Amino acid sequence: MSSYVITIGTIIVIQAIAVCGLNVIVGYAGQISLGHAAFFGIGAYSAAILTTKAGFSFWTALPLVIGMSGFIGLLLGLPSIRVREDFLAITTIGINFIVEAVFRYVQFFGGALGIGGIPRIVLFGIKLKGITFFLLCLGFLIVVLFICWWFTRSWASLACYAIREEETAASTMGISPVRFKLLAFVIGTAMAGLGGSLYAHYMQFISAGDFSFPVSVAFLSMLVLGGMGTLWGPVVGTLILGVLPEVFRPLVDYRIFFYTLLLLLMIRFQPGGILGEGSVVRRILAPILKGGRA
Amino acid sequence: MIQPLLSTKGVSKCFGGLKAVDGVDFDVFPGEILGILGPNGAGKTVLFNLISGIYQPTAGKVYFHNDRIDGLPPHLVARKGIGRTFQIVRPFATLTVLQNLLVARGITRYGHLSKVWGSWGSQSEIKAAMEVLEKVGLTELAHRKAGLLPLGNLRRLEIARALVVGHTLLLLDESFSGLRHEEILHLEALIQKIRGDGRTVILIEHNMRVAMGLCERIVVLDHGQKIAEGPPSIIQQNEQVIEAYLGRKGITYAA
Repeated sequence: MSSYVITIGTIIVIQAIAVCGLNVIVGYAGQISLGHAAFFGIGAYSAAILTTKAGFSFWTALPLVIGMSGFIGLLLGLPSIRVREDFLAITTIGINFIVEAVFRYVQFFGGALGIGGIPRIVLFGIKLKGITFFLLCLGFLIVVLFICWWFTRSWASLACYAIREEETAASTMGISPVRFKLLAFVIGTAMAGLGGSLYAHYMQFISAGDFSFPVSVAFLSMLVLGGMGTLWGPVVGTLILGVLPEVFRPLVDYRIFFYTLLLLLMIRFQPGGILGEGSVVRRILAPILKGGRA
Repeated sequence: MIQPLLSTKGVSKCFGGLKAVDGVDFDVFPGEILGILGPNGAGKTVLFNLISGIYQPTAGKVYFHNDRIDGLPPHLVARKGIGRTFQIVRPFATLTVLQNLLVARGITRYGHLSKVWGSWGSQSEIKAAMEVLEKVGLTELAHRKAGLLPLGNLRRLEIARALVVGHTLLLLDESFSGLRHEEILHLEALIQKIRGDGRTVILIEHNMRVAMGLCERIVVLDHGQKIAEGPPSIIQQNEQVIEAYLGRKGITYAA
């Protein structure tokens, strides 16, 4: 594999981890978030600071990074989860801008210069780069997918689905909407933090612009394209939106045009996403999947 | 004297200047079927929302097992053992009928974060849910998406979700409306059976025949106020009730 393919692949896998987290919030619990890049950034910045300034390694910093992202997710979720739908979308956009501004203007976070010199990840005495780093990211993606799969079998997911479908009815069945929305928010932002940490160690240099609002929009587009609330949707959506710009590189001037066209067509004809309920892909795959299970 | 299971004391709810429920007192005793009647806009559903915690009363108190439950959010009222259905059905549309019931089954777990990580698909839970689906006649539709069901089946689903956990008090909001005659008979039998299990039922009903046949006692609301209370035979004779439903006496219409 050429290093070009590995680079694209690594970025896709890292983004897929973050989009899986977004899927827990938007897909499973039905809470729209347009600020997911903020938590991707919180993970990246806390990993960068812990490893460059506090002398942690990637591995010792990781639990702190994930915990920090989830905890800030909880803090920012507390006020925003109490508003509904369109207001929640606007609140999360606001969170994204505030977090980005903090990274950009607070000297502790490197200000406009960002943070450089983030060390490579060392595993069994080997500095990971290229294919080995890609495999590490893939390993983390598999863990994240496993957690998502586990989550969808749990009572917690059932409570989240119920809130997504009918909040009032859910509450008369003993489900506290605030508690389970926050739970989804914490799990989702913690996953974004993991992705952000891998991103920081891969790029070795990060700056506030990497976590701006358009990144959140891209994450949400990937999720909508792949299929909200499905297990593999985030992976498929990230893969397509990650590969397409490379394939159509000659058409780079029209990239935004094709992006938008694709999304509009999806929303019009396949609102559930590529892997969503009743989608063309699912109908074609159904006999194969059934055959596989039997 | 028997202790009431649920009682409201002067419970009121105002929406701006409108008094939707105005100082209503009533008691429900264990094991009875109480009907709440009244013309459209009398405040019947608002009263249910006040009991189940969806609305907070502007004034007055609600007691359940002698504990005050007014001011509690809906999920805590539900955990105390009060289940309800909605007049305008509220299914979890993209979940299957079976999953709709399993959501309700989780009521003992949702309060403890340590208990929500197990699988909802365990044999014992599915068995319990399927038993209730059989009671309401939805067995064949168990794996169908709830959003695809016609209204009659959605009303049964509403009842099944309330029945599937051991609630001591069930609030049924116009569960009979929009049902065919045979469905009504089936549901009447089901409610009798629920009461036979030692549960207490409060039902809001428009269908006079159903209410008169099923309820031991009836409370009649009009303009948010309680205008009558008693056994069906007395209610039928009550002048105020007849007036509320049919208009003032003495007005004659030309044939």
